[in-house]
Amino acid sequence: MKKTIYLVLTSVLLMSVLIGCNKKEKITTIGIAQFADHGSLDNCREGFIQGLKDNGYVENDNLKIIYDNAQEDGVIGNQIITNFISKKVDLIAAIATPMAQSAYGGTKNKNIPVVYTAVTDPVLAELANPDKTSVGNVTGTSDILPVTEQLAMIRAILPNAKKIGIMYTTSESNSLSAIKEYRAAAADYGFEIIESGIATAADIPLATDQILEKVDCLNNLTDNTVVSSLSAILNKANKKSIPVFGSEVEQVKIGCLASIGLDYFDLGKKTGAMAALILKGEKQASEMEFEVIDEYSFYGNSKVAEDLGIILPEDYVKSAKEMFNEVVQ
Amino acid sequence: MLTIILGILEEGLLYSIMTLGVYITYKILDFPDLSVDGTFPLGGAVTVVLISRGMNPLLTLLFAFFVGAMAGIITGIIHVKFKVRDLLSGIIVMTGLYSVNLRIAGRSNIPIFSYETIFENKFIDKYIPEKLVPYIGLIIIIIIVLIVKALLDRYLETKSGYLLRAAGDNEVLVTSLAKDKGLVKIIGLAIANALVALAGAIYSQKQGFFEISNGTGTVVIGLASVIIGTKAFQNIGFIKTTSAVILGSIIYKACVAIAISLGLPASDLRLITSTLFLIILIVSQDRMRRVKDA
Repeated sequence: MKKTIYLVLTSVLLMSVLIGCNKKEKITTIGIAQFADHGSLDNCREGFIQGLKDNGYVENDNLKIIYDNAQEDGVIGNQIITNFISKKVDLIAAIATPMAQSAYGGTKNKNIPVVYTAVTDPVLAELANPDKTSVGNVTGTSDILPVTEQLAMIRAILPNAKKIGIMYTTSESNSLSAIKEYRAAAADYGFEIIESGIATAADIPLATDQILEKVDCLNNLTDNTVVSSLSAILNKANKKSIPVFGSEVEQVKIGCLASIGLDYFDLGKKTGAMAALILKGEKQASEMEFEVIDEYSFYGNSKVAEDLGIILPEDYVKSAKEMFNEVVQ
Repeated sequence: MLTIILGILEEGLLYSIMTLGVYITYKILDFPDLSVDGTFPLGGAVTVVLISRGMNPLLTLLFAFFVGAMAGIITGIIHVKFKVRDLLSGIIVMTGLYSVNLRIAGRSNIPIFSYETIFENKFIDKYIPEKLVPYIGLIIIIIIVLIVKALLDRYLETKSGYLLRAAGDNEVLVTSLAKDKGLVKIIGLAIANALVALAGAIYSQKQGFFEISNGTGTVVIGLASVIIGTKAFQNIGFIKTTSAVILGSIIYKACVAIAISLGLPASDLRLITSTLFLIILIVSQDRMRRVKDA
């Protein structure tokens, strides 16, 4: 019995070697490592693949993509990067901050460029210098939130609101930097920010109940844990007729009232174009500054507005990039 | 291929330091200590904060070791003095450490890419030939593991080490030697958690950043490695248990690496771990039964 198992393990090892060595000419191989599984990050990935395609790298034609998702486990994330390195990928695309850091840390001295996306603060993550230049063989795009635009929109939709509730996970550094910005800007729009920090997804129901007692509306960040449990939060908020604002299009689609957000697909596309430049050899990642998307769009959900008895301001609706008239589950 | 083996050895050996800690509590003391899920990132937080304040990276490892020991002592005191059940004492400390770690670190994610670590420093740049650079990480980890293992082996041969082993097998013996078995347990937990924190510190230095969520699941990795190691090598006389535990850690990481390399999604990895766990347990029982029958 024991021998059989060792035999199986050995053959599995051997197989993986053979797969690893099977590399054809002229096909570019990239590894895409995504930190968590949710709409925004998925859009990022799809946009990235589109961006490569627009620039001459077509999947299953001249481009081979190895995709893996760490499911929010940083230790697994590290091993995914090691696997990419052992498969000798030409470039690693890392989606979300911890993944970007694993990729950058893991590829030092390995001569594999890293392109990241959905990193809110590349400077704080030490992936870029304060002047936006790269710290090494790494570059990418940031998904910094349009905080003032979002606050202005909330003020326009809810003229009498005073307290905005924000839930965030204490372990997500993206959220912490966003909260800081909200805190600094809230007073300019006559708001007070009520925060509720949670440790795990299991804390969300209780935290939601508590914060809903204290606020006029909720506002989401791009917090991975909170966004993953958004339907549960929306359910509770709807029962109390408290509007919830999203941070990007996917959240509006599933039932947030409105959002000024960036299009993660576009962000991914921009990142894909940067990756193509590196793959073609036209530029080195180390000489590319990280980029941001500076166009933000309004997304609204007219079904949610109707249920809450709120009228969305006309000028916002007119300029909307997309309006939803149903709640997608 | 070389990269994959290098990766497995690096990760496996690095985690084996943590696994040795789990071995002390789980195998020697018969104490299922869950606080390690908190002490692993605790070590990371301590080392990263001290490095970013300019302390020598090697010295920060000592601090991580001692802070880890303190966490272990707290688990021990909760269990021994306040008579809280072993499993619960670990859970209490693990839960509390989450907040403590965030307090120490200040935020959930701290990069140290721009600082010197034990893996990246002027000394290595200057004295290590270019050709050796890809292996330097592994070499450093091997040196640390050898030191830790040698010290632990020596300790287990001392009087205090004997008492530690007795406390797990035969508490009455410890009492009959007029020794306080509670104190022995606390010492064991302190050493175990010190090793776990040390591993967490080295891990953070290796990957170049501290991330609070990286501690989740440490105890599962540790237990799996201990069981794989001790069961797979239990009949091979010349392999010391501590060596078997280190090998177990490497085997565990190899299985995960192979699973990832074969393209199995990360969401399935836990199932693979538990299956592997089960297989090892069944195989070793199978063999024991045969020994009994004969």
